[in-house]
Amino acid sequence: MESLGYLMAGLGAALSFNNLLFAFAGCVLGTLIGVLPGLGPAAGTAILIPLTFNLDATGAIIMLCAIYYGAMYGGTITSVLINVPGEAASVVTCIDGYQMAKQGRAGSALAIAAIGSFVGGIVATILLVAVAAPLASLALKFGPAEFFALMVAGLCLVVGLAGRNILAALLMTALGLLLSLIGMDPVRGAPRFTFGIEELYDGIGFVPVVMGLFGVGELLLAAEARQTHLIQADLKKWYPTRDEWRRSSGAIGRGTVIGFVLGLIPGVGAIVPTFMAYVLEKRISKNPERFGKGAIEGVASAETANNAYANGSMVPLLALGVPSSPTIAVLMGAFIVNGLTPGPFLFQEKPELVWTVIASFFVGNVLLLILNLPLVGLWARLLKIPFAYLCTGVLIFCIIGAYGLKQSLFDVWVMLGFGVLGYILRKLDFPIAPAILALILGPMMEKSLRTTLEISGGSFAIFLDRPLALALLAVPLIVLAAIALRPRAFANLRQTDIE
Amino acid sequence: MSRNARRGWLVATATMMAICVFAIWQSLLLSLTDRLGPGPGFFSFWLSLLGVLFAGLLILDVWRKPVIESDETLFPRGESAFRVLIIIGAVAGATLLMGWVGFELAMLVFIAVLTFALGERRWYAIGLFAIAGSFGVYYVFTRWLDVLLPPGPWAA
Repeated sequence: MESLGYLMAGLGAALSFNNLLFAFAGCVLGTLIGVLPGLGPAAGTAILIPLTFNLDATGAIIMLCAIYYGAMYGGTITSVLINVPGEAASVVTCIDGYQMAKQGRAGSALAIAAIGSFVGGIVATILLVAVAAPLASLALKFGPAEFFALMVAGLCLVVGLAGRNILAALLMTALGLLLSLIGMDPVRGAPRFTFGIEELYDGIGFVPVVMGLFGVGELLLAAEARQTHLIQADLKKWYPTRDEWRRSSGAIGRGTVIGFVLGLIPGVGAIVPTFMAYVLEKRISKNPERFGKGAIEGVASAETANNAYANGSMVPLLALGVPSSPTIAVLMGAFIVNGLTPGPFLFQEKPELVWTVIASFFVGNVLLLILNLPLVGLWARLLKIPFAYLCTGVLIFCIIGAYGLKQSLFDVWVMLGFGVLGYILRKLDFPIAPAILALILGPMMEKSLRTTLEISGGSFAIFLDRPLALALLAVPLIVLAAIALRPRAFANLRQTDIE
Repeated sequence: MSRNARRGWLVATATMMAICVFAIWQSLLLSLTDRLGPGPGFFSFWLSLLGVLFAGLLILDVWRKPVIESDETLFPRGESAFRVLIIIGAVAGATLLMGWVGFELAMLVFIAVLTFALGERRWYAIGLFAIAGSFGVYYVFTRWLDVLLPPGPWAA
């Protein structure tokens, strides 16, 4: 009941003019980012962080969350119209969405995607309200040992599902953690790995690193490929027929459940629920041969699961402080930039902020529906922006974002360096997601481990005395052992590195 | 895995291994333990050690993989390579320039050079975009969004 009271108060705050404006701006910018090929939600959220530098913390987080789920929907438009997924999770939408567009049903595909996204987002947010607060209360009983074990479990799940090569993912995790240790030692205050460079005393900035790895890295890849697209779709008739509604309703329901549940598991990634929801629909369909040839339930299931996942993945972030994907890690970075540490203590210390942000998800999903149904044609026109302008414009944002946080040109160099690194790693197909999550979790992991060991006088046996910590530490061992023993069974569950 | 891809993986993994070895050395210069428990070098030491182990195993894994003969190159050539390099060069140049002449002038040059290099040939479009992206963006971010950007030499 207490949660409901907070939620109502949060809804009131989310509907204030300023917060409504931030949610609206976030949805528009997110959709724009999602529509532009080559920029996924992680890159989009990262490069738009500078717009929120001087907003109040609530407004900044509302706007960035809106950018996130706006970008998740925006990817659908390019998937349907030109068969190019704006972000990884929209790959599945291409299968039937593009076929529908070729048959002159692009409007129906985009409308059902918007409606499915809306239903998935709203239901997942209701479930988030039900789950997040009790989970956060439970997490308040965690000591440093449990937090350390939780972060290890989260990271190992990400590693296990991160790519084709587990060893590469483990190595990237270790490097991400090492990178996070640059700067002042969080326990003793001694400088580490700073080599006398003053700018490194505060550590390597998360924002320049993600802007480099995702923003600049993806632009370099796009520059190499340089594709131009032509849109040939009839968007005048955008409402689905009665038969299309009938076919889609069940798919939307099932996609919501799959998306939300998988959103709770760190490392699963948005492509897994969309893929699973699609496969389920195909399996239970009386006419599975229609799939791949323009089946609207294929679009509905994938898009619903995608948005339910986006909202579900907020649960581990808000309740436990564990990001489940690179995009959520970027959002976590935005929380930290605003002086907030996501997790159970945030529910206790800043309940009005948390509940306003959660309430804004409802508002944002309504705004997305309003924006996306009638404005599809307008979004589609954005695909005609020449690459020279798109690339230059995004780079301006990256430079401002890297510089603006600390007014440091050193951070712009860091962004460029990580941009080149991200480009090379993507060319080689190294998994980047584990490094990003490790970079954000590193300082907290180290602090938790060292506090635990200080309590125990340096003995690791303390983990044996804490059953929950032991159980959480067993999760990664089981997952990694299962993947090592039955690699093929997990092959389909692995996340692509595009996100 | 193609020969070029394998070479790329081996070079990248060996570089990462070297970084981990360097981090082990640096960690040993810090204290691993002190009277309160683990010291500043504790976490980084064990992480780097794990990093070396993973890198070693990865090198072995890549080395053992069969090589597929193909002409596929890892990195682009010709026009594609030019586009990638011009973006890197333009950002580096803009960063250098920003320290001397401020955001507006640095961005004016950056935008004009990059849009031209990426294929735009209409001078008025380049000019308008460069002015909007430099002076316009500077005005919006510094006046409306209160984000500090490097001022030009004429700023008091």
